[in-house]
Amino acid sequence: MTDAPLRVVIADDDPDIRTLVSIAVRRAGLNLVADVGAGDTALVALREHKPDIAILDVSMPGMTGIEVTRALQDDAELSGIRVFLLSAGVTDVARQAGIDAGAEDYFFKPFSPRELAARLVEIVAKPGAAL
Amino acid sequence: MSVRELLNKFILVDTPTPLLKQAPTTIAFLGAVAIVLSVPGLDFTDRTAAIGGIWGVIVATVLAAVFTWQPAFARVALLIPCVDLLAIGFFRVGTGGSLSLFASLIILPVIWIAVTPQRRYIILAAVGTSIALMMPFILSGTLPQGPSDWIRGIFTPIVFAIAAGIVNEMSRQGRVQVAAIRALAEERDVMLRGAVDYTNRLRDNEERLQAADRLTRSVLDAVTEQSVIGTDVTGLIDVWNPGAERMLGYTAGDAQGKRYMHEFHLIEELLLLSKELNYPPGETVLNPGFSALVESARLGRPEVRQWTYLRSDGSSISVDVAVTRRVDETQRTVGYIFVATDVTQALEVSRLKDEFVGLISHELRTPLSSILGYLELMRDDEDQPLSDEQLQYLGVAERNAHRLLRLVGDLLFTAQVGSSSFTLDATDIEVSPVLRASIESAGPNAAAAGVTLITSIPDVASPISGDAVRLGQACDNLISNAIKFTPRGGTVTVSSINTDDQVIITIKDTGMGIPTDELDQLFARFFRASTATRAAVPGVGLGLSITKAIVTAHRGELDVESEVEVGTSFIVRLPLKTTKKLA
Repeated sequence: MTDAPLRVVIADDDPDIRTLVSIAVRRAGLNLVADVGAGDTALVALREHKPDIAILDVSMPGMTGIEVTRALQDDAELSGIRVFLLSAGVTDVARQAGIDAGAEDYFFKPFSPRELAARLVEIVAKPGAAL
Repeated sequence: MSVRELLNKFILVDTPTPLLKQAPTTIAFLGAVAIVLSVPGLDFTDRTAAIGGIWGVIVATVLAAVFTWQPAFARVALLIPCVDLLAIGFFRVGTGGSLSLFASLIILPVIWIAVTPQRRYIILAAVGTSIALMMPFILSGTLPQGPSDWIRGIFTPIVFAIAAGIVNEMSRQGRVQVAAIRALAEERDVMLRGAVDYTNRLRDNEERLQAADRLTRSVLDAVTEQSVIGTDVTGLIDVWNPGAERMLGYTAGDAQGKRYMHEFHLIEELLLLSKELNYPPGETVLNPGFSALVESARLGRPEVRQWTYLRSDGSSISVDVAVTRRVDETQRTVGYIFVATDVTQALEVSRLKDEFVGLISHELRTPLSSILGYLELMRDDEDQPLSDEQLQYLGVAERNAHRLLRLVGDLLFTAQVGSSSFTLDATDIEVSPVLRASIESAGPNAAAAGVTLITSIPDVASPISGDAVRLGQACDNLISNAIKFTPRGGTVTVSSINTDDQVIITIKDTGMGIPTDELDQLFARFFRASTATRAAVPGVGLGLSITKAIVTAHRGELDVESEVEVGTSFIVRLPLKTTKKLA
């Protein structure tokens, strides 16, 4: 484990939410390398930056967060990225679809920036599956 | 009416009446009287005897008429020919005695006597004849003069007796034959009546069958919104109602006896079910897909399943199909019935509803996320601490944003309960901690409303199978309701008690109460009690319907008791998970 902060990419079509998540990310002491507003551009950013953590909104234009997650799993270089999905969805069926696609966990909207930051700190302390 | 029928009606030859039997004697006698009176040179030799004879025949004829009219005298009917014989005896005396021309009249009553069953009447005939012929000597009190008179008195009766014997025997044989013929005729009659009965029953049965057939046909024809299709055991179609014609586009003539049921199914769906049922792959049965289709029905378990039907124009249609088996009189399966309902529209409605739920979920929660998130950032900003007044304003904004969020959640939940996507995440949980958590979170609200919160939860295990989050939501709803509807200074009591198989939670308030006539609508969506709206207590009327749905999903019961101006109690009964087996 290195001392350099883990690198994060955020994708959400709502810029206000994006800002809110990025504040939580910084407060957790992580390094935000990119924030984008659509699924397809998220995939481009992820390929470019190869971050440690991706926080993806489920419903985005271009590609959904779940589709992006699947694409990451299919790419050997990117399958190590720990994916967290951000969702306003409520059904267990929808939740399971994300986990099946390869996401590590869900963050549910609405969220408290304070609690999200605390969760991220916890997540960083606990190493991911592959890393 | 034919002549024969007329004769049969008035002259019963089979069972001749005494009057009919007497008729030849009377007629012949009248003839004799007429001859004596009209032929010159003939005259009565003994007027008194002749008149006695005439009277005798009249008496016999009257007797015959009376006996005919009163069949009770039939037993003594032989009296009549006896009287006749005597009367003829007298008449013979009156018309010349031994030389009388009318001795032959005797034959008529003798025949009557002779045809009577039993041979002893032959003797009676002989004796009667003898008396009639010997009448001149009986009346004069003298003995016969010469051998010719003796011979006439003995020989003639013997001849008559022989004739009577022959007649008696012939009539006996005749009677036997008639009886045999009659027996045969009766037998034939019985058989004929049997045949007629059988024919009538056949006709009745056929009419009933036709009526049943018409009924079945009219019922099938009346089902126009559903397809009713019948097949034999191999799936060959033999019933095809107008509903099927409408739904699938083929006429009965196109389908019956020509097509198989599986031809109307998506083969992929049939193969999938075959796989689910663990049919060996590549099995060479006639129609493996059809076997899968009727598997459940064949085992006597009618089932309803969703399928896709293929229509004649190549399009497809979603249907709910109920499959049942057809059996013969020995309960052997002889085919299947498929009743299908078009669910395309229902599926579309359900899909739109889910889409709407998703839309609300996203479009309402996302802005609320921002509102709540940024309010929190403002509150947490350590560089620029807010004044107390600003903090108070912020609190109001936060409280209302949370209220809106709860409302969105309630709406979503209500929509989910109505659709199939509502599921409980059931695990083994304890009721008491869930209840305590709800009470604890309601504490600040109760304090703010000036309501005393009393709790009485025994320290015993209350294990149930349930969803702690949902159950907590139900408890929150009931407790916050109780606080909301209780005026300042009142109390809300939350208690729980365990019975053998239930945990009973009671939430009792001293609030405004609910009118009795509104209690049964209380759990309906968007219903609000009149007392609540009058007192302007905020709410939309979803909390109790949600609570009811949650309690029901836990296989529990939710009851309410209330009195206006006194208070309301909500009682939740949840089935305890049995631990007796472990104890």
